[in-house]
Amino acid sequence: MTQEQAGRVIPQENEMAEMLVAATQEVFTSMLGSEIQQVSAPEAERSTPFDGVLSLIGLAGALIGNGALLCSAETACDLSSKLLGATYPAVDEEVLDAVGEITNMIVGGFKNLLESHVGPLQMSIPSVIFGKNISMRDARADVAVATRYVFPGGEFGLTIRLATARE
Amino acid sequence: MRTEPPNLLIVDDSTAIRKILLRVLNQTGLELGQVLEAGDGKEALRLMEGRDISLVLSDINMPNMDGLELLRALRGSPQWHDLPVVMITTEGGQAKVEEAIELGATSYVRKPFSADSLRDKLAALLSK
Repeated sequence: MTQEQAGRVIPQENEMAEMLVAATQEVFTSMLGSEIQQVSAPEAERSTPFDGVLSLIGLAGALIGNGALLCSAETACDLSSKLLGATYPAVDEEVLDAVGEITNMIVGGFKNLLESHVGPLQMSIPSVIFGKNISMRDARADVAVATRYVFPGGEFGLTIRLATARE
Repeated sequence: MRTEPPNLLIVDDSTAIRKILLRVLNQTGLELGQVLEAGDGKEALRLMEGRDISLVLSDINMPNMDGLELLRALRGSPQWHDLPVVMITTEGGQAKVEEAIELGATSYVRKPFSADSLRDKLAALLSK
């Protein structure tokens, strides 16, 4: 359902998903030299514990929340190899930095598309977590978008959780 | 007329982006001097002291001192007032880009970027 706030029309979840997919494809084409294919995403992806890498970027403005990239350690290494042109056999500082930067570019591209609907948004710097049994919970989300992708080298998920900012 | 190869400074809190920029710079085919790297604006200003820098490539969104603060400091300095500064940012939304241009940024590049277009832009700036 389209929501309105202060005269602005907040896009529907499927429109936001299209923005996220477009931003992701642009990053993969321009910076990683790789094609991606969107596949169906489990609805409760972020609340399901997993082992691997979680990269988070905060968004704030008329909408507040975050964008997140979730993937296995192996996929994180492969994404980093594609971005930096080097081989990474295991997750290290460079891999975490590369995954953070990929998330930064994707969420930044999404933010740029969303700003034309909801006005200026601010982005945080990325926070990247590597560990076991990771799960996330958002206190409040009016908009929840979950997308999943496969590429030659692995698969990963991208989610957006946003809530209208309280006055 | 310049005889020494130009020294460059890359300012980005992401080592990944610094590596990518370094690779693109090496692909310009131009003879380069030192290519220095800083993780934020404060470190950049420290590194620039006493050095001859010909071009700065700077991210906008960084901790400690961001790219706009760095640009403001450079444009307020007699030594660096005219130094070419290219802002590299995910902030394609116009507010920060416009602020960077108003502060005197020479040019800007939005991430994600294609290596070819960035290489051409840097080669043009460095051959001036």
